[in-house]
Amino acid sequence: MNVANTQDTRIERSTIDLARRWARANLFNGVPNTVLTLVSVTLAVYLIYTLARFVFVGADWEVVDVNRRLIFLGRYPKEEQWRIWPPMWMVMALGGLSYGMLSRGSLRDFAWLGAAVVFILAFLATTTNGMLFGGGVVLAIAAYGLGRLTIDRPLVRSKLRMVTIVGWFLVIPFAIILITGFGGVKPALWGGLLLNVLLAAIGIAVGLPLGILLALSRATSLPVLKGFSTAIIEITRGGPLIAWLFIARFVLPAFIPDAFQTDPIVNSMIVVSLFTGAYVAEIVRGGLQAVDKGQVEAADALGLGTFNVTVFIVLPQAIRAVIPALVSQMIALWKDTTLFAFLGFTDALSGGQAAYNQAAFKGSQIEVLVFVALLFWAVAFGMSRLSQRFERVLGIGVR
Amino acid sequence: MTDNATQSSSLDTRDTADATGGGSGTPIISCKDVTVSFGDFQALKGISADVYEGEVVVIFGPSGSGKSTFIRTINRLEEHDGGTIVVNGVELNDDIGNLDQIRSEVGMVFQQFNLFPHLSVLRNITLAPQKVRKMGREESDTLAMELLERVGIPEQAEKFPAQLSGGQQQRVAIARALAMQPKIMLFDEPTSALDPEMIKEVLDVMGELARSGMTMMIVTHEMGFAREVADRFLFFDEGEVVEEGTPEHFFTNPQEDRTKLFLSQIL
Repeated sequence: MNVANTQDTRIERSTIDLARRWARANLFNGVPNTVLTLVSVTLAVYLIYTLARFVFVGADWEVVDVNRRLIFLGRYPKEEQWRIWPPMWMVMALGGLSYGMLSRGSLRDFAWLGAAVVFILAFLATTTNGMLFGGGVVLAIAAYGLGRLTIDRPLVRSKLRMVTIVGWFLVIPFAIILITGFGGVKPALWGGLLLNVLLAAIGIAVGLPLGILLALSRATSLPVLKGFSTAIIEITRGGPLIAWLFIARFVLPAFIPDAFQTDPIVNSMIVVSLFTGAYVAEIVRGGLQAVDKGQVEAADALGLGTFNVTVFIVLPQAIRAVIPALVSQMIALWKDTTLFAFLGFTDALSGGQAAYNQAAFKGSQIEVLVFVALLFWAVAFGMSRLSQRFERVLGIGVR
Repeated sequence: MTDNATQSSSLDTRDTADATGGGSGTPIISCKDVTVSFGDFQALKGISADVYEGEVVVIFGPSGSGKSTFIRTINRLEEHDGGTIVVNGVELNDDIGNLDQIRSEVGMVFQQFNLFPHLSVLRNITLAPQKVRKMGREESDTLAMELLERVGIPEQAEKFPAQLSGGQQQRVAIARALAMQPKIMLFDEPTSALDPEMIKEVLDVMGELARSGMTMMIVTHEMGFAREVADRFLFFDEGEVVEEGTPEHFFTNPQEDRTKLFLSQIL
């Protein structure tokens, strides 16, 4: 204790001292490094200044404010808006819970969270929707706190973990049932950011397990199964996503009997899932190859049997090894959902385009595009952070 | 270990393989003319060997002599292409049902430990009892803790394999194999990947296991240990059993030139 106290009294001086030493060691060691530091800092300051000046002084955000509905919901009918909130709250609560349970308690998390809240509320706090969203944010923070609190209670923690995992499995079906069911909104009317989110969520939810199955069947020694899955993977990956979307939208319906015709957007979702599945399959196959042969031998020697060996020994290690690549693929899918604009759907990006094409807002492309870019970035960044948490908890690099 | 004296005296009463098996009559492992080929290379050229219940058989020989291949055919990690192998009354063939039955009766310990890195020590041990023996979680946890006590590292239960020393990992691997309550334990060079100071802790556990009456087949170069625990030695060279007999036979009166040469190199 004494030692700690004396350190406390010196902490200020030593912090400054440390900072100075750190700067000398990392920023100004040698002429090339010093030049690099100065150039980067100048550039960074200039960029931040320009952007901040634009955001707070130059820009006229009215176009975004007026067209918020268009960007977030597209043609989705206003009176059915209530259907979106419960699944959204669920996602926010689950996100907070997951993030909280995966974190190891640094203050930085709170800083990030705080910044996000301030930013979002600044846009939305004045309206009913803003308040509903704010409620979601509060829910997320509460869930985060709950997740953090369980760190010292392993029993509660394992139960909470089950709840969280089951929740993530249920949230997409729940959202789709609530939005489309009970006289709800047909997929053809989904739009805006909601459309991007739902497309990406379905693409991930279907594509991920599909990809794992494809990878496993490609790795088997059964020739028919192996050939079939190899064909699916190679054919699907052989064409650009946009071409597959066009085929699903305009070509396939001509070949399908009327009785089996599905909503064009459903066809497109199947295509997106298949496309994601093909890429996931190849990523997971890489992971499968990375698993040491001795692992399978040891599991075989215990008499675990093929199914148990695959599910409990091989897959966890294979997937753990490829989480960064998988998350990259998910982020790519998230951004690729903007391609649906070419099929005539109004997603966040094309909603934004419609907004700045209005006569009243001529010349406001920059405001709209910056805002839409920020929306996409925020989600992608969130996915990236969550996956880093996940990787750390799974202990990658500890080995 | 403390009871070395009684141990060696009890071993002295066992002279040959036939004498050892005297009680039961039929061997628990019976191999006849077993051959294994990798492409053009014949790794095993017709091995015949019987192991009786409670017997400890040590296999040694130069590297590439087929001793690891042989021990791996006993639970079909390598498939033999000729001859017959009968383990615990069940013949090893393409029948997968037979295979899982045999594998759950035969424990195996590897040179590289092969612990599951994504599972805690406890889960490494409980996984197979839970999935194969359908044991409940509490029961399997209790069993795992007993086994960890037995191998001397109960305090490591919640750690992950990467946090353990090599010797500790190999002891966990032994506990993991024992959790299936096997009738036979196979050891494929269990101390070859260990630093010298960790070899003894693993050999001590194996010695204790041998004394408890477990049927064991061990591939090892630790001749001092082998002399102490083995009932019988098999000397392998170029895919064949060159010489077979008690430890005393090998240490005092080896017959074959190849045996003499090899022993002179390693002792």
